[in-house]
Amino acid sequence: MRTGTQARKYRLQGAGLDLALPYLMLAPGLMVVLGVLVYPLWDGLRASTRAYRYGSPVADVGFQNYVQLWSDAQFLNSLWVTVKFVALSVSIEAVLGFALALFCLHEFRGIRLLRTVLIIPMVITPVVVAILFRLIYASDAGMLTALSEAMGGGGVQILGNPLNAFIGLVVLDVWEWTPLMFLILLAGLQSLPHEPFEAARVDGAGPWRVFADLTFPMMRPVLAVAIVLRTIDAFGTFDQVFVLTRGGPGEATRLISIYGYDTAFKFQQTGYAAALFVTIGLVVLALAFSAIRLLRRVDAS
Amino acid sequence: MSTRLARILTTIFVLAVVLLPIYWLVSTSLKSNREITQEGTLYPHVPTLDNYVRLFTEKQFGSYLANSVVVTFFSVAIALVFGAMGAYAIARFRLPFAAERKIGLFLLTLRIIPPVVILIPVYLLMLSLGLLDSWLGLIATYTAFNVTFCVWMMESFFREIPVDLEEAAMVDGDSRFGAFRRITLPLAAPGLAATAIFAVLVTFNEFLFALALTATPRAMTMPRGTATLIGRIDTDWASMAAAGVIGALPIVFFALLVQRHLVRGLTMGAVK
Repeated sequence: MRTGTQARKYRLQGAGLDLALPYLMLAPGLMVVLGVLVYPLWDGLRASTRAYRYGSPVADVGFQNYVQLWSDAQFLNSLWVTVKFVALSVSIEAVLGFALALFCLHEFRGIRLLRTVLIIPMVITPVVVAILFRLIYASDAGMLTALSEAMGGGGVQILGNPLNAFIGLVVLDVWEWTPLMFLILLAGLQSLPHEPFEAARVDGAGPWRVFADLTFPMMRPVLAVAIVLRTIDAFGTFDQVFVLTRGGPGEATRLISIYGYDTAFKFQQTGYAAALFVTIGLVVLALAFSAIRLLRRVDAS
Repeated sequence: MSTRLARILTTIFVLAVVLLPIYWLVSTSLKSNREITQEGTLYPHVPTLDNYVRLFTEKQFGSYLANSVVVTFFSVAIALVFGAMGAYAIARFRLPFAAERKIGLFLLTLRIIPPVVILIPVYLLMLSLGLLDSWLGLIATYTAFNVTFCVWMMESFFREIPVDLEEAAMVDGDSRFGAFRRITLPLAAPGLAATAIFAVLVTFNEFLFALALTATPRAMTMPRGTATLIGRIDTDWASMAAAGVIGALPIVFFALLVQRHLVRGLTMGAVK
């Protein structure tokens, strides 16, 4: 006689063609992924150890492309610009998003309108977001210049000046992605248990104490996930810069993705660009896995 | 009273920050280039729709829009079917060597790698297959990206659905696949919708691969076509603004329409 669990297992597995079912169900998706993601990934690794001329490989150079990266001043600069951009944008977004989420936690009139409107920046095509900001920053037709002239001032230079262009890019990113931070953190706040907060109120704790001793510690995991997600995403930023500044003026806003694209498609250094992209991939993966580790430790303690 | 005032002021401030850039885009798109550069007006004094007409008569925005719709539709639809099946297999079956868990983890890892990493090899692949500047090349690429996403999203939705319901259906004579199709899939419909919506959004907005893989209005998508209007020292601000409005309108409209599902998709995984 069969035991209960065995019968259950038998029923679930089924018989005949049903036994092959898991493989049949996995196959189509895996085939697409193998063909269009995994094969290119392997091909990219291979390309990164070669030298190309006019788009076809001419020599095996081993790890030379990777070594060369670290003495390439333009690569190092683009890496530095990217790190500055990501650190600055993501931390501003986290602070603003958290503040806004705390502010919206208590229902009040107008909150639905606010939440609806806040969806717009993150769903607009990134290319169009860049157009939006070019129209704001442009020295002749820009909103800033128009406002300044309406108040009796002169034209405003943003995209022509290295520091201003960089700040302008950070402002664009903050405008576009603070809403996502806000939505994630708001969902997190709404899922916190009520009891500790009521106990604190009974004890007469002030709002700052409640935030420092309760809200913030309880929100740490959600905050960490939101920051990690945004950081990984921001590392690959391309569209907005491509349309807003094309990396300029000079190299002021040339993120690593822009430099990689130019290396591949403008300077036609296919192998070198492949090595650059593999390096970016490894950096992001390392970032992601160390973040996951960190989160597990936070969860455990 | 003072907290109420603070709330109103903050709300107005946030609304202004979000909406002013959009107001400026729309307002610029309704001006002539002369009004934009020489008069610097704060609102269109002589509103005109010429810029929009020009986009469709001279700049082939009709084709860009059609390409975007076709490519987005097929890549999302195929990925949903393949992804839902894969996710179900991972969520429900126990394979030898825990293969299903390893496959799930593998797909998740692929998702974390920024797409830019495979830009060059995908370009070389499409070049060798003769699929550059074609719908098929873009559809294949986007389907692959969407499959990893769909599997990851759908898996958690399937796990939430109790297995007993399928068992009951199978006792009543359904096959395993029949139980999946008739019982589980309909129950997972809200999750399926959230997944589809998010995939549509990302696919419609994609620019990097469209930039590398397409070159003519035959296959250029909306973001790609919009970007071609913008040279480095371009001063055709009016066309650019109108292109921005046309480029953003379908997806913003879509997003507002499906808002509730969208928020769930965006925040999912982060909170749970």
